[in-house]
Amino acid sequence: MAVFERTDTMYRILGGLFEGLVKDPSVGPKFVESDIIIKFTISDPDGEIWLSPNNGGEVICGPYGLSPTIEMTLSGDTCHRFWLQEISMPIALAKGLIKAKGPLPKVLKLLPLLKPAYAAYPGIAKENGLEVKGA
Amino acid sequence: MPYTELDLTLAEDHVALKEAVHKFAVGVLRPAAIELDKMTPEQVIAKDSLYWRCMKKMYELNYHTVLISDAYGGLGLDPLATHIVWEELAYGSAGFAVSLGCSCFNAFYASMMADDYMIEKFIVPFVECRDAGVMSCWGITEPDHGSDILMSGTPHFRDPKVVQQVKVRRKGDDFILNGQKSSWISNGPIASNVSLFVNLQPAMGMAGGGICLVDLSQKGISRGKPLNKMGQRELPQGEIFFDNAVCPARDMIIDQESYEMMTDLTLAHANATMGAYFTGVAQAAYDLALQYSTERIQGGRRLCDHQSVQKKLFDMFVRTATARSFSRDAMKYNMNTTPPDVKYSIASKVYCTQAALDVTNDAVQIFGGYGLSKEFPIEKLFRDARAGLIEDGSNDSLALTAGNMIVREVTQ
Repeated sequence: MAVFERTDTMYRILGGLFEGLVKDPSVGPKFVESDIIIKFTISDPDGEIWLSPNNGGEVICGPYGLSPTIEMTLSGDTCHRFWLQEISMPIALAKGLIKAKGPLPKVLKLLPLLKPAYAAYPGIAKENGLEVKGA
Repeated sequence: MPYTELDLTLAEDHVALKEAVHKFAVGVLRPAAIELDKMTPEQVIAKDSLYWRCMKKMYELNYHTVLISDAYGGLGLDPLATHIVWEELAYGSAGFAVSLGCSCFNAFYASMMADDYMIEKFIVPFVECRDAGVMSCWGITEPDHGSDILMSGTPHFRDPKVVQQVKVRRKGDDFILNGQKSSWISNGPIASNVSLFVNLQPAMGMAGGGICLVDLSQKGISRGKPLNKMGQRELPQGEIFFDNAVCPARDMIIDQESYEMMTDLTLAHANATMGAYFTGVAQAAYDLALQYSTERIQGGRRLCDHQSVQKKLFDMFVRTATARSFSRDAMKYNMNTTPPDVKYSIASKVYCTQAALDVTNDAVQIFGGYGLSKEFPIEKLFRDARAGLIEDGSNDSLALTAGNMIVREVTQ
């Protein structure tokens, strides 16, 4: 069974995670400055989450009519495992669990900005009753 | 005369970068490579040699960080700019371009992991380095495994009888490394660290490999003599021996679960880069031959006034222009698509190295007897191009690998 049972649950949990990330003072200004639009195309459950530098950094859950700089295609389960750091980006990319469209340098540039989300996600997942190994 | 830029989307930054790197390659790298070509491999790598002076200049210009994100202080160039830098450096010297390209291996892998430990240990020292003292090599081929070690996906890659010669065993928080890498490790005699491809699970054959980032200054590491070879003599290559050397377990960044796919990903980037390098070599030979043909008089006319020479120049022009278009597209696609489509990078490498060999061969012919002489750089370009058909995977083996991919795509 999928970790996120429904799309709206996924939007609430991952959307909240990203909201916290773009509002984080150590990340938000750098993300806005990067001028990168990211689209996560998620399967099982199906959904889209967008991160845009507009309006000081915003998160949009659901279809949105922008042209992404980077598009990451992955499953909801891979999202969960990635944010729990059970799987690293290179391994996920190498195994095809995450497919990325967009300049690799920009993808790599984003990675160090994700640190606060790695720290926050286990707590968020636990609060929402999702499985967290070792918790 | 500079070639006509067919890509009308080139930004001003791209044009400025191309001109700057071209000027550096012609003014600094080419004359240095010609001097180093006359030296023994030991003289090339001697302390304070011309090789080191050139590498230091490239580090000072930050060219070593082409693939490292600007988030860490690297240049973090876009795919087209990356191609431009590699092509133009190789226009001056294929050997220096390969040496610089290999220098970033550990920092590049670390930038994919991007945790604090990796950043501090591998990326920051590399980006901040200005004396070329922090330099990687790609430790993949072995005495008994040349191009076959790159042929992931093919049946032999999962044959338990065929495994990497560098073996590891776990000891507490470390891996203990034993074995040998081949004479063909670029930067092998001088690198400070290595992206080492090892075997973790012999029962899986080569697919049971792992990739670890290893310090080469430690006890238990020794090097062979730098290789004395035909082409790209400015590029130091040589064996590395591991005798109970140690690698912290956390520096084993890839294990057998994803080894095959990461080998593919690495090959996709390396072969796309080779396509760019050898476009530069072809362009260099074409430019020199065209110039010479306007100066040299034979049969009472300039060489370029002979129709047979014009035909040859046209063939060289076509090969060089197609190499540039194709290798740029392959690099742009595969640096924008992860996982990459490896067969396009392989095709770029195979096509461009063959184009470079054909163009340098024609250039030697246009130069006539002088083409064989060391008075002109053409014979060196020919030798450099010949090496390209073997390095980074022999073209025959790579073609088999890509052919296998094509068939698998339609049958699986």
